[in-house]
Formats: sequence, structure tokens, C-alpha cells
Amino acid sequence: MIARIRPVMRLILVVALLLPTVPAPAAGEVKNPGVYTYLTISDADSLDPAYSYDTASHMLWMNLYEPLFQFEKTSTSKLIPLIAAEVPSQENGGISPDGRTYTIQLRKGVRFHDGAPMTPEDMKWSLQRFLLMDRAAGPSALLLEPLLGYAATRGDDGKILPDVWKDLQKAVSLQGDKLILRLPRPYAPLLTILASWAPVMSKAWAIKNGDWDGTEATWQRYNNPSKESSPFFERAMGTGPFKLERWDRKTKEFILARNDLYWREPAKLKNVVIKGVAEFGTRKLMLQAGDADAIYADRPLLTQLQGIPGVKVIDDLPTVEMSPVVFFTYEINAQGNSFLGSGKLDGKGIPADFFSDKDVRKAFAYAFDYKGFISDVMRGKGTQATGAIPKSLPGHNPKGRKYSLDLKKAEEHFRKAWGGKVWENGFKFTIAFNTANLPRQTVCQILKRNIEGLNPKFKIDVRAVEWPTFLDGYKQSKLPIFVMGWNADYPDPHNFAFPMLHSKGDYPMTQKFKNPEFDRLVEEANAEPSVSRRKDLYAKLQDLAFEEVPQLYIIDAVRYRTQREWVKGWYHNPIFPDSPYGSYFYPISKD
Amino acid sequence: MARLKAAWKVLKHRPMSLLGFGLIGFFLTVAVLAPVLAPPEAGSRDSYIIPQSGYSPDPVRPSKEHWFGTTEQQYDLYYGMVWGSRTAFSVALKVVGFSVCVGILLGGAAGFYGGWVDEILMRFTDVILAFPDIVLAVVIVAVRGPSLENVMVAVTAVSWPSYARLMRGDVLSVKERDFVAAARAIGASDARILFRHIIPNSIYPVLVVASLSMGRIVITAAALSFLGLGAPVGYADWGQLISLSRNWILGSSGNPFEYWHTVFIPGLSIFLFVLGWNLLGDAVRDILDPRQK
Amino acid sequence: MLKFCLKRLAFLPFVMFGVTALLFSCLQFLSPEMRASLYIKDPRQLSQLEAVIEKHGLRKPVYVQYGLWLKQVAQGELGYSETAKMPVASAVRAFFPATFELTLITFFPIMIVGVYFGVLSAVHKDKFVDHASRFVAITGYSLPSFVLGLFLLMVFYGKLHWFPPGRYDLTTDMLVHSEAFRHWTGLLTLDCLLNGEGAAFLTVAKHMVLPATTLLYISVALLLRITRSTMLEELSKDYVRTARAKGLPESVVIRKHALANALIPVVTLSSLMFIGLLGGVVITETVFDFPGIGRWGVQAAQQLDIPGVLGSTLLAAFLFVIANLVSDLLYAVVDPRIRVGN
Repeated sequence: MIARIRPVMRLILVVALLLPTVPAPAAGEVKNPGVYTYLTISDADSLDPAYSYDTASHMLWMNLYEPLFQFEKTSTSKLIPLIAAEVPSQENGGISPDGRTYTIQLRKGVRFHDGAPMTPEDMKWSLQRFLLMDRAAGPSALLLEPLLGYAATRGDDGKILPDVWKDLQKAVSLQGDKLILRLPRPYAPLLTILASWAPVMSKAWAIKNGDWDGTEATWQRYNNPSKESSPFFERAMGTGPFKLERWDRKTKEFILARNDLYWREPAKLKNVVIKGVAEFGTRKLMLQAGDADAIYADRPLLTQLQGIPGVKVIDDLPTVEMSPVVFFTYEINAQGNSFLGSGKLDGKGIPADFFSDKDVRKAFAYAFDYKGFISDVMRGKGTQATGAIPKSLPGHNPKGRKYSLDLKKAEEHFRKAWGGKVWENGFKFTIAFNTANLPRQTVCQILKRNIEGLNPKFKIDVRAVEWPTFLDGYKQSKLPIFVMGWNADYPDPHNFAFPMLHSKGDYPMTQKFKNPEFDRLVEEANAEPSVSRRKDLYAKLQDLAFEEVPQLYIIDAVRYRTQREWVKGWYHNPIFPDSPYGSYFYPISKD
Repeated sequence: MARLKAAWKVLKHRPMSLLGFGLIGFFLTVAVLAPVLAPPEAGSRDSYIIPQSGYSPDPVRPSKEHWFGTTEQQYDLYYGMVWGSRTAFSVALKVVGFSVCVGILLGGAAGFYGGWVDEILMRFTDVILAFPDIVLAVVIVAVRGPSLENVMVAVTAVSWPSYARLMRGDVLSVKERDFVAAARAIGASDARILFRHIIPNSIYPVLVVASLSMGRIVITAAALSFLGLGAPVGYADWGQLISLSRNWILGSSGNPFEYWHTVFIPGLSIFLFVLGWNLLGDAVRDILDPRQK
Repeated sequence: MLKFCLKRLAFLPFVMFGVTALLFSCLQFLSPEMRASLYIKDPRQLSQLEAVIEKHGLRKPVYVQYGLWLKQVAQGELGYSETAKMPVASAVRAFFPATFELTLITFFPIMIVGVYFGVLSAVHKDKFVDHASRFVAITGYSLPSFVLGLFLLMVFYGKLHWFPPGRYDLTTDMLVHSEAFRHWTGLLTLDCLLNGEGAAFLTVAKHMVLPATTLLYISVALLLRITRSTMLEELSKDYVRTARAKGLPESVVIRKHALANALIPVVTLSSLMFIGLLGGVVITETVFDFPGIGRWGVQAAQQLDIPGVLGSTLLAAFLFVIANLVSDLLYAVVDPRIRVGN
């Protein structure tokens, strides 16, 4: 018996000895020079810039395609021209005095990846295609709103609106080499939107591959398409510094190659590999071994990435997001809703309009431990938010008033709320958060713990729900309190003020929060061309929001990046999608 | 009494079965004594919610204060293990009990009535058995929303068909026996024949298989929790506690086993619990089924 | 025989129909908003939820959606899986070979180890070998794959850096996707050898060590038990006693007589074992991030990617029916006393 096993053991030993351990790269030596590898967790949705609306896809296509403008290095306000020859302004005559006509000179000598020259017609076609595709839950609304004056090409019945084509021809046209945009009303953030969206794509290549030919007769066929029907879904034909080599969906891997025909100096990297690796451990080990140059990792995992030889952690990088935010629902949909218990203020539930009482909201605001959240969950990184507009944006008011943990004040407000009935009878309801989101979960747990400590009759259940259930409850205003966040589409305060505080914005619509004073301020600030006056308006808006407390803003978050020390030239612009993890690869080199 | 003595006689010579009894007895004691072993925090409304000390993401190694250390987000592992044993028993017993009942009733009906009842029920079990059970269970939990109850529903839904088929086979053979014919001859009702004569005489093989499958059912339920579809975060449940360790198996740089306790402690508990049931299942089979001796 | 096969194959469409109908009836629990969540990944998209529901026809009654899906299938179109980011048919083609390879590589060691130690246990009943191998088997049977998997990863990956998760590293990835690399069989280890890529073969094999070990350890117990009990039964039969009485050496008695008969149920069960393994890889693939059909199925189910779930479960159901058929046929082949069809 034993004699029979021995050879097996010997074999195992031999195999084990042959196995290489992870070879850490020697100091000073660069592994895979010219090839930059980034490991991420998210899966790109589609490479079509008019279709995709997720950061993973956006990060990819911003290296393959180029929009009219781009933000200069780390700035979120100063633009440089890319496909445009210069940035239009009222000074250089590019923007008319009434702020409604933009004249954009286009760059010459730009070629697509296949060598064909880029023409003004390509730009016009690309912009029109971006607007007309308008797939459900896509990015088209971002430009439909300013250029056409309405956010969708289809009505509520799903039918195409009658005047879309006519309005579009009025809004987007060519005059020789110039692109002319005519707006129904002034829209201050337009240029910043054009700096992130609607890049130039090859019209000739598209038509050859069965896409829209640019005529009125056919456009409706390409409206709201299915994802995989677009030729740009898995292939790319742009002018960017990289071209797409391959998208392997089985292994979740994108391989980009340098575009040697690029109109500026060609990129320094020869190849870029972007690979989806779900398991954090694998990402970490590949970084450690030098097989990856940068990886995605969120705040809680930081300690595991510190002190790896040859790996640098760059921290305190600003973001253009406001997350997590606690939202109160003013008018909860009570129909078949288990979140609000008995539906009455009897200690076993809450009435549907529980949060419409300002004192309740203020009590919650004073019961949250902002400092503790930042020090524990965020490991002390980031600062407490002073309003809906993040620190990195122009309209942010650093002196804005903010709440802090004050349980005495919380108790005062609870005693006042609902004529004292809240304190007397107590309440019970459920806060939901979507699973697998640690910061949001902790926000709920802190609220629960602090508020239940005030009065034994206060009961809050915290429930994790899957994204589908969460979405369902959210859309139907069934969640008494919910925790969500907002990422910028473009770096303008309007992109936060509107969705968070305007009664037509996404969140107020669900919260059933409506205040004409807020609406007026949001609209006025958006139409205001003067930067300093805009700033004042937004400061006023934030002050109002402090008093009204429709939402609790918690943190102006910062992120960190882990990369190999041999990565050079990288810079962080918070508006770049997926930055600081993924990035604009053009300036990066490895040596 | 004589039966118990006979059972003991069998067991006495089987250290493995004794080990099984020992393990389950141990977990049972822990479950019963949970309020003493790990008293809940004052003022907590649900003892199954694990107390948290702070919100820091890094697990903390075992110490005087936390005997088994803490997991991600500072859930006390010792508390979770102790109260989790109650969850484990409740899930295992409920799921097995319920799926055995469903299996006996439907399988019994199929075998007894035959014809189209049999055809429909058996084709239905064919369909369920054709699924990989984890995937079907995940679908069921995903559509009904993650919770411990739905995990039990899902595992029951994928487990009853095998009991039903076994039951049906036994009923088919018992049905032909003389005493059934006799009962029929004296005019007993269908229900009486089924419940008084057929089921009691064909139930043993199902019970044996049920005791043998206890372990598998615990594993399936724990797997759903591991995938994040079970109890809410912070609820004392072993499967969930082990899923909290997934990000930490590599340790920190320089110390790969820094967070060993987050995998090892809940993993060992699930393993010993399942092992206990499997050994116990073997013992039950040996006692009930003398052929296997 | 042929008639029997045809009858069993006719059963196939029925099971497939049942499986899909059951899945669609599960959808009854979901509101259209919940089903739309698959297409909404970002809060920025929330305002257009209604438009998404409209676009994918999610407001229609479930039976209408089922009808539409069947019509689509009849046209040879299985739909688009959001979790796989590709059409269902391509996803099956992409993920199945990986799972099949893993299963195949694990299957033979299981058969060998299971039968060997099963026989050893029976022959040395109640001796140390018997107790030891049964104990090892029952511990394997009691060990959840995610516990064992995480533990193996901690030791062999976190500490020793020997066996990483996934299916291959980036270098191999580049290689197998290059023009020059021919995919003869779809089984990557074999293809690497056929292409003469020794290093790539080693990498691919290395990535399979941990998942295969996990599967082996947790699956071998069943086979060991079956072999042991059938072997014990054969050993107690008259012909064995007769052979022994005739003075034949014990090894001949065991090998020539008892083993041959004891293996009959083992062989017939082998195809079912194979299917059991295919089902067992679900969690194992998830733990080891192995890009196979099981990981896809669980992901699809978790995200309510209905086409994805339908695709992966249809494949599983298909294999299940086929395996049952093979098992019945094997039974007839190895045991001449049984005539198929009766």
C-alpha cells in the first residue's frame, strides 16, 4: 500500500518544486514596457458613444474618440479645443451676445483610424446622431435639453415627436468649416457638456457598416435601437490617440493600440489593456507582480495596498460626485408598503407624510455622525459636504452652513415634531439600502443607532435590498428614507442643482419635494452667463437647502489611486470617467 | 426502550456515529445556551443582529474583548457564531421538515392515485430535477428578494422532488400488498387508506434519505447566503459571515494570514455542523436499515 | 433499443419547455420596474426608467412575454445576455468549453480515487484503511465548496503564490487570442499542447489545480460510498465464497469476480456523476473566478438577466436529459441481464 503511494508523493513534490512563485520585478526594471494594463471591476456596456451611459464604457471611448473640447489637465472649468480649432467665447465672437448662437471653427488635418480625413460633415453627423439615437436611459438627453429644448425625442406614448427633425436642422448646422449651434434659450453649461459627450465618428465608415446615412427618411429606424445593432457597439472608428484592437467579452478584456496617424504627437504607450477582474485579491496580486500597472480598489481596501514594494498609492484626489446622500420622501406611497409599518403615528409605524415635517428632517440631520462616518468608513479622508454641489465645482460654497452630530438638538426637534406626538408615541419604519454598498449601509446603521438611542420608542429597521427591489421601491416613492448618490455628467453646478433640488429633477420627483423658490433659483442660475453672479445664486440655493433639509449631504469624497512607480505622466481630472482608476491614457508613459 | 437499547448497541461500536451525535449535541447546546454564552446588548430588539463595535472596514484579530476577532465592519465573530448556530438549526430543520412533508404528500398522492395525477406530478419533478439546483434556487431568491425565509423557500423548492419520487416508488409497492386490499375491501376511504396504511408503511426510506441529506441542505442554504442572497447584513448567519471574508483572504502585505480568522472560524463551524449531520445520517440509516450493516 | 432512445429524446423538448415555463412563471413575482433594473446601472439613468420598460416590452403580461420569447427561439434567436455582454448562443459557446474542460479533468481522478479507495475500504472492512478513507470521504462530503475554495486560495495563492484564480494570465490570454493559435478542440489545455505551447499549457493547468482539487475532494465521497457498499454486497455473495473455498488467491477473487460485478452500478452512475459535477461547479467557478457556464448562470440569476438564465439552464437541462439516457444505455451495455425498454 505505502509502496504504491510513494511515487505519487514524489511526483507531487517534483511538481510543487517546479512551480514558480510570483516573481516580483527587480528594482529599476520595467515589466512589459510600452504596454499599460489596468484592472477594473466594471464591465463596459457598449463602445458606441451615443449609446453607452456608464463610466466603464465612457472611459474606454474617450481614448478612442474625441469630442469638440477637453478639460485642460486637472481643471474642471478651463477648456482646450480638440476637434474644434478654438474654444468659442463671447470675446472671440464664438458665442453671440444673447448666448443662443455658438459658432465653432473645426480643426483641419485630423484623420480617422482608417486614414480617411475628418470633415465638418462628420462632426455634424456625429452630433445629430448623438441626439437622434436617444436610446431609453441613454445620454442623448444631456444635449437634447440645451439644443432642442426638450429632453426626449419620443413622447410618453413612445411615439416620435413630430418636430424633432425640423428642430434639429435649426439647432445643428454647418456654415463652411464652421459648426453652428442655435439654442432655444441660453444654456450656460453647454460647452462643458460638449467637452465630454458627442465625439466625432466616421460617417463614411458608419454607412458602410449599416448605420444611419444622415437623411431624414431613415433616422427613425435608428431611434432607440437595441445595443448590439450598432456597428459601433464592439468596433470603433474615431480620431482618438488609440484605436481598438479587440474586445474579448468572454475574458472581459479590451486591447487598444496606438494610433500612429494621430494629429498630435502619437501616444507614448504602444498598447493599453483594460481587463475586468472581479476578485480584489487577483487584482492586488497582479499589481504586486507588476503584471498590472494600475487597479481599481475602493476606500475600505486601502490598508491591503499600502507598503507593496514598487507600488505607489496616490491619495486625496478630488471627485465630482455627491455620495452618499440621504433622501427623505415627503409623501410616501402607502399602498401595499411594508416600509412604513402601521401607516400611523402610533409607535408601530409612520404616516405617509411623516417627513414633510421640517422638525423630523432636522432631527435626523442632527442625529447623524458626520465626523465618525468620515473617520471610520472613509479612513479620515475627505471633508464634510456643505451642500449639494461638490467641492471641485465652481458653484460650491465652502462657507455654507452644515449640520453636525448634536443629539440634544435632535431631541429638541423630535419633541417639537408633529405637535409632540412623535416623542410621545414613537415610530417605527424601515430604511432600505441597495446591497453591496458599504458606505450607504453604514450611513443607515449610524442613523439607526443614534436615533434609537434617543428614545426607546423610536425604532428603525435597516434592510438590505437587491437593486431591482430598491429600484422598484424608489420609483414608486415607497422608501421613507433612501441613500443614493449622484455622479456628474459634466462639471457644472447645474448638473447637481437640477437633479437634486429642482422639482422636475430625478430625486425631488421621487421625494415629492417641491418648492417654487428652489425651482426659480435653479433656473435662474442656469441661464446666468456671469460666473460670479451664478456663484451667488448657487450659494443662496445651498443656504435654502440647509434650512429646508430635503436631503443630508455627508461628504465631499476623495479617492486614491494605486499604480506602479514606473507609470509616468498620469494626471487626475475628476471629470474623466472612472478617474482616478481608469484614465486618459494619452499622456501616460512607462519607463 | 428495547429499541433504544438496540440502537445504542449499534452505536457503541461506531466511533464516527458517536462523533456525529457529539457534534450535533455540542451545537445544540450552544444554540440553546446562546443568550447565556453571548448575551445580547442591552436594548437590542433582535438578538440575531450581531453587535458592531465601530464601522472600520478592517477585520480585527482575536483578542480578549473579541474572542474570535471581528469581521469586516467590526461584527463580533464570537457572537455571530453562537447565535448563528440557532439560525443553522432553524434553517436545516425547517427546510428538511417542509420538503419531506411536501415530498411525502405529493409523492404519496402520485403513487396512490396513479394515472394523470401521477403523470403531472412526476413530469413536474422531472423539470425541477433538470435544473442545476443552485441556479434555480438563486432565481427563486432573486425574484422574491433576498432573505432567510426566501432561502428556505428556494431550498425547499429544489429539494422536495427527490423525496417525492422515492415516496412514489415505495407507495407503488406497498399499494399492492394484502393489507391495503383488505382495507379497501372493508370500504375504507381513500384518505384513510393513504394516511393510515400506505404512508406509515412506506415512509422509512424517505426518512433515511432525509437524514442523509440534512448536510447537503445546510450547504446549499449556506451557499446562497455566501452569494449574498440570504440573511441581511449583520444577521447571525454562518454563510454570510464567511462571505464577509472574501476581500480579506490575502491578508496585508507581509502577513498573508493576517485575517485568517474571518475564513477559518465560520468555515470550520459550517463544516463541523454538516459533518455532524452526515455522521448522524449514517447512524440513522444503519439503525433503520439493517441490510447495510 | 432505437425506439427507447427516440422515446427518451422526445422527452427532451418537454423538459426544455417545462424549464423555461417555470422560469417565466417565476417572473410573475417581479414588477416591470424590477425587471428593468437589469438595464439601469447608474442613478443618472433613473429618470428614464419608464422608457426602458417600454423599450423591452416589460409591461406586457408574463405569458405574452413568454409567447414572444418562444417565437424568437423558433426563429433561432436566443436573445441577448446583459451579464455576458453577448448573445446567449455566443455566451454558451464561450463559457461551456471552460466548464466542460474543468469537469472532464476532475472526472477521471474522481472515478479512479473513488473506485480505488471504495474497493480498498470494502476489502479491508473495519480496518484502519476503511475508517481512514471513509473519514476523509465524509469530511469532503461535509465541506462546502466555498469554504474549501477560500481556504485553498488563502494558502496556495495568498501565501505560496502557486495557483492563482481565473483561467489564465495575461500572457497566455494574448497568446490564445493571437491569429496563430488554432482552437482545435476548445479544451484549452489540449489546444495549448496541440499548438506546441508548453509554457501556456503549464499556466492553464496551474489555474485548474485549485478548482479541480476542490471539486475532487467534495465529490469523491459519493462514489467511494457506492463502490464500497456494492463491493461489500458482492463479497458476501455465494459465488465469491465458492471461489474462495476453491482456494483461489484473494486478489484473484477480488479482481476477477467481485470487482467486475460491483462496478456495474458504478459505471451506470458515471454519466450522472458527470452531470452532478457540472452542477457542482457553480459555486466553485464563482469562488475561483473561473469563466465557465456556472459562474455565468449565477451572475445572470442574481442580476435577473432572464435571457442569460434561460440560456444557461436550458443547456443544463439538455445535458441532464442526455446524461440520463447515456446512463440507461450504459446499464444495458454492462449488464446483459437488463434489456432496455422493459
